[in-house]
Amino acid sequence: MALVKARKIGGATPAAAAEGGDPLVWLEDADPARRRQAAHALGERPDAVPALCARLTREEDASVCETLLTALVRIGTAAAAAALVPHLASEDVGLRNGVIESLQQMPAAVVMPKVAPILTAADSDLRIFAAQLVGKLPHPDRLDLLAGVIDRDPHVNVCLSAVEALMESGDPAALPVIERLSGRFPDNPFVTFSVDAARRLFSGA
Amino acid sequence: MSLPSDKGDTAGLSTADYDAFCRFLRERTGLSFTEAKRYFVDRRVSERMAAVGVEHVRQYLNLLRFQASGEELQLLVNRMTVNETYFFREMYQLDCLVNAALDEVVRGRAPGSRVRIWSAGCATGEEPYSIAITLLERWNRVDDFEIELYASDIDSQVLARAQDGIYEERSLQAMPRDLLAKYFTRLDDQSWQIMQELRDSIDFSLVNIADPRQMENFRGMDVIFCRNLLIYFDDLGRRQAASMFYDALSPNGFICLGHSESMSRMSSLFVPRRFPDAILYQKPQS
Repeated sequence: MALVKARKIGGATPAAAAEGGDPLVWLEDADPARRRQAAHALGERPDAVPALCARLTREEDASVCETLLTALVRIGTAAAAAALVPHLASEDVGLRNGVIESLQQMPAAVVMPKVAPILTAADSDLRIFAAQLVGKLPHPDRLDLLAGVIDRDPHVNVCLSAVEALMESGDPAALPVIERLSGRFPDNPFVTFSVDAARRLFSGA
Repeated sequence: MSLPSDKGDTAGLSTADYDAFCRFLRERTGLSFTEAKRYFVDRRVSERMAAVGVEHVRQYLNLLRFQASGEELQLLVNRMTVNETYFFREMYQLDCLVNAALDEVVRGRAPGSRVRIWSAGCATGEEPYSIAITLLERWNRVDDFEIELYASDIDSQVLARAQDGIYEERSLQAMPRDLLAKYFTRLDDQSWQIMQELRDSIDFSLVNIADPRQMENFRGMDVIFCRNLLIYFDDLGRRQAASMFYDALSPNGFICLGHSESMSRMSSLFVPRRFPDAILYQKPQS
């Protein structure tokens, strides 16, 4: 028979525990596996937020980035959310998407105060990311914040992101807000299309 | 492992207590119970509180949190999981294993080297034994390698049943009669026991896949079966588990999820691979 008795795994002391040491030190190890191990261990330590974020800024291995982000989501504090928000401006698409996904998985009450101010950032791309993110957060201020974007943001693409976010929220109270956009950009065919789509969605057509 | 879906009016736990319980169980075990499972959770907790003679929910929660042995948490977890499965469930993935995935795993490996396969969330053992029988019967290179089979579950009671390897007709409905005769001994009118050699070939262990320390023991796996388990985790729990499975796998190793599950919705770490029989998820080379 080619099946051999597997060596016993359950109950054995994990290698890391046997070695001891500080996971904060492992974060700088040359071996990506060791850095992931550090991130796993630090996901229970709110005091590790600065170190995790510092590593995230420098990290080039995608698998380590993912583990660092997961650790920050597990910590889930306001400090962790605040540390992630600047990465929304990252040129690294993978990191930026990872950050958006991570912020979505953190408590909305913690994330919203950190993300809402970005709705008025100077960079319109950043405002688009913020609108997308706000739309995903189950928070009582969501509708008002996105309504503010639709009523005041000068860039039509930011407004359309807010429309999309409101449509995804499925809240029929969003329709009158969305319809106001036609008044601001009456000749824009994309606005006309989006408003019509929202009417169809919320009327159940 | 799977969880039930019974519904009904809740009796004992207040909303705050229910939330506290769910939060605690999620942190410790990865299991995520929504409001829809409230009746189920309520009944199990009430049963265990009566069994240990604790009157107040907060007292019981403290017992779970701080009991050094962890015995009561284990007993509660055993009551919170239901394990309905059968041999050769979702057979197309076993087809994929022997028709394509394993050949890719062993490409370039010397004959006699190890191949490690892990059934995570093995419940009463039907999955790891199905893997073992499929390998022996259908993988044409089975004799070229030393194959190690690991199986784990968070529920100590089902793990004991898996090690006993005794099954009734319901579990064996998809088992061809010739394989039943070949690998099982009939115990009585209703039950069969899988042969000793197969029982001895699998390492069964009690493992909580939400615990990074326990997961550090699993390294160098070539294939992980984790089917219909992560659907009971929340988004963060799934993401964390995916990250730890990544570390448990060898480069180019595969993970098999249940038919309704998609790794792409859990994590960006794996590459989906479409084989003729199934879609598996692969850990990249580097």
